[in-house]
Amino acid sequence: MSNKRRLWQIFGPVLCAFILLLVIFLLPWERTFSRDSIYQAANSQTTTVFKGSLMKQDAFENGYVPFYGSSELSRLDSLHPSVIAQKYQRNYRPFLLGGPGSQSLAQFLGMQGTADELKDKKAVVIISPQWFTKMGQDPDAFALYYSPLQACNFLLGIKKDSVSSRYAAKRFLAMPEVKGTVKRGMKRIAAGEELTDAQRFILENQRRMLNNEDKFFSTFQLRDRIKKINTRAKLLPDTYSVKGLNEVAEQEAAKNTNSNSFGINNRFFKTRLNKRNLMKLKDSQRDFDYTKSVEYSDFELMLQQFAKQHTNVLFIIPPINQKWSEYTGLSEEMYQKSVSKIKYQLASQGFNNVEDLSRHGGEKYFMEDTIHLGWRGWVAVDQAVKPFMQRPNGRYNYNIHDYFYTKKWQKEPHKIGSTDKSPVNYSLKGK
Amino acid sequence: MNFNFINLQPYGNPHYFIYLMIGLIPIILGLYYGRRFKIYECIFSVVFLFLIFDADKWQQGVSLIIYLLIELVITYCYLYYRKKGKNKTWAFYLAVFLSIVPLIMVKVQTAFPKAKIPGVLAFLGISYITFKTVQVIMEIRDGAIKEVNLGTYLRFLLFFPTFSSGPIDRYRRFAKECDVAPKRDQYVNDLGLATRYLFQGFLYKFVLGWFFGTYWLPRISRMALIAGTANGGLKLSWWLLAYMYCYSMYLFFDFAGYSLFAVSISYFMGIHTPMNFNKPFLSQNIKEFWNRWHMTLSFWFRDYIYMRFTFFAMKKKLFKNPVRLSQVAYLLLFLVMGFWHGLTWYYIVYGLFHAIAIIINDYWIRYKKKHKDKLPSNKFTKCLSIFVTFNVVCFSFLIFSGFLSQLWFGWM
Repeated sequence: MSNKRRLWQIFGPVLCAFILLLVIFLLPWERTFSRDSIYQAANSQTTTVFKGSLMKQDAFENGYVPFYGSSELSRLDSLHPSVIAQKYQRNYRPFLLGGPGSQSLAQFLGMQGTADELKDKKAVVIISPQWFTKMGQDPDAFALYYSPLQACNFLLGIKKDSVSSRYAAKRFLAMPEVKGTVKRGMKRIAAGEELTDAQRFILENQRRMLNNEDKFFSTFQLRDRIKKINTRAKLLPDTYSVKGLNEVAEQEAAKNTNSNSFGINNRFFKTRLNKRNLMKLKDSQRDFDYTKSVEYSDFELMLQQFAKQHTNVLFIIPPINQKWSEYTGLSEEMYQKSVSKIKYQLASQGFNNVEDLSRHGGEKYFMEDTIHLGWRGWVAVDQAVKPFMQRPNGRYNYNIHDYFYTKKWQKEPHKIGSTDKSPVNYSLKGK
Repeated sequence: MNFNFINLQPYGNPHYFIYLMIGLIPIILGLYYGRRFKIYECIFSVVFLFLIFDADKWQQGVSLIIYLLIELVITYCYLYYRKKGKNKTWAFYLAVFLSIVPLIMVKVQTAFPKAKIPGVLAFLGISYITFKTVQVIMEIRDGAIKEVNLGTYLRFLLFFPTFSSGPIDRYRRFAKECDVAPKRDQYVNDLGLATRYLFQGFLYKFVLGWFFGTYWLPRISRMALIAGTANGGLKLSWWLLAYMYCYSMYLFFDFAGYSLFAVSISYFMGIHTPMNFNKPFLSQNIKEFWNRWHMTLSFWFRDYIYMRFTFFAMKKKLFKNPVRLSQVAYLLLFLVMGFWHGLTWYYIVYGLFHAIAIIINDYWIRYKKKHKDKLPSNKFTKCLSIFVTFNVVCFSFLIFSGFLSQLWFGWM
């Protein structure tokens, strides 16, 4: 056999493989998901689902409502929104988005792929004051939730230069995980320039490949919690009543928190708060301050995205386990100040559906552990979610103010009670 | 446009392979047409080494250069000494000792970060360079190497496909190949093998290794920690067993994949770097396992520690009983290997464990020879011995992984 022929036999298949791969990733594939896998995805809270587009899009078009939040979403006890929605055959199903460390910036990025699907629809946001630390989004956690696909969507979706797009790009540039063409694009946007044609071309092809990747692999690592939801649902009374739910909550909570005096879930207490950790945490949060934070502006990005989509949003502000905050020395006054600052930011721009649970931290069995809602807390959440979901929806318009992107607002100390006196004029149209 | 310095970890991601392949094209074309572009090869190697040690890793790069100078001085001093016809044992020991001093210091520094030995900084690949220099010094002692060409020696030490983690080539073998181009037939053959190894490496490292190491291992590890804490006592659980197998598979596919890349790239460059793995999990006993697992390392230890020690002990008549001698030699070999992995209890226990396993294995083989007629040998016994060996090896990897340390003491 001639050497040329042998060379072809060696490198021919390699060449074919590369061409095939390129073709496969650049072709516009169609894919539908089964109802079951969408339901799994909605409750799996995996980063793959969070970072993707297609499953979320499919879900939001089919009766799922996004529940943006963080680690509390994984407290899947019998009173969890997903369990309640399943048990009482609600007209919606929660799609859980977020996990440990997913703060506003990560959430804002994750929202990029579903702007069309959420137009004039409803959403729920559980907004934790714990996100509002001085530096805001933790870069390591961001790396976990960073989706190049959504970054492409963000960049290619910018129609014209604005304060918010500049701010967002600057914030993304502060995250080391943002690399390559995306990073170069962000630099241009942050400087108020448009993407170059070459960048646009690369990003579009990149997006096409990443969309295909999303299509092929997003069902790949789903965490199946359906069985868990079904077993938890069995504990609930067959007819809905708040009293009945609270009874179940108390029974379950009493059983699961009997190892400690904080009212913290036994398992959490055992694995996360051993004696040494417990000692270390005593009075450790005395100096925590959630009132001055870059997160306020990151949060504004989420609000702006909702405004763009005319989404009707219910915000839920959770409390902290009071026994726990007393132990760690976290200041209740400071906490309330931050809550009030968040509420001001919401109300002054027309976001009026706010369920403030922040003063319920002392109620028995309200929290599952230190800072996460559970049992009776979930019942309280449902009392806000249920009427919110029952109300007919309309097209919501909001008044977004660039002031919330300024350092001044980030650092402004906020006085409790000033929520109602709004210096910014806003009007709510078409309610 | 601002230039971003990047740190490329060898064979770490797809980009690396793209850069590598582009850089290799002139070498491949040259070799195909019977020419070896030595200068280009050197520049190419230096560039890729630079990419490992640039940006914030530059101190490592400096460390490497200083280290190289030291090793060159030692090697050439010893060579000069030997050329004058002298061959005292103490000079040989001194040369070997001096050449491993940097590695020892690095190991001590890594084990005790607080010690802060001045001027000592580990760089990627230090172990493997040290193996190569020690080998050269030992063969100079034997008279097997009579002349060391500086250029060839540097190219041998810095041969970048195998730079970071082997396989460990031999100087005399390398020197024979590195100046000439292979015959075209032979080279086309090599290209076929190189391509196959490359893709096998992709499968091993990026698919199978990823599944075991990135996908399953963290989950299993979490479960094992939770279940262990819940069970108390020795913190044993079924998850720990799962961890053992999963880690073993990860270790194999990750490292075998890496080694395949190194061999593949060497073949593209017309150098027949030896293979590192040969279906190790099909071994029927521990001794066979070490002839199939990380082969270049175990052969190095066999030739330069086990055999040396055995000859030395025989000459000095330290042991009357040859069985005892080989047992001590095994203990020495595996303890050194354990210490080389790192000065932590689990690496040393890992070494001891293998020494004991191989000693027991020797007992068993002697027993088998004596009772040949009574012991069956068939398919079933073969499968059984593979099974037993596999599990013993996996258990040793569980020790090696350091997970037990994490489980019991909370640190790794």
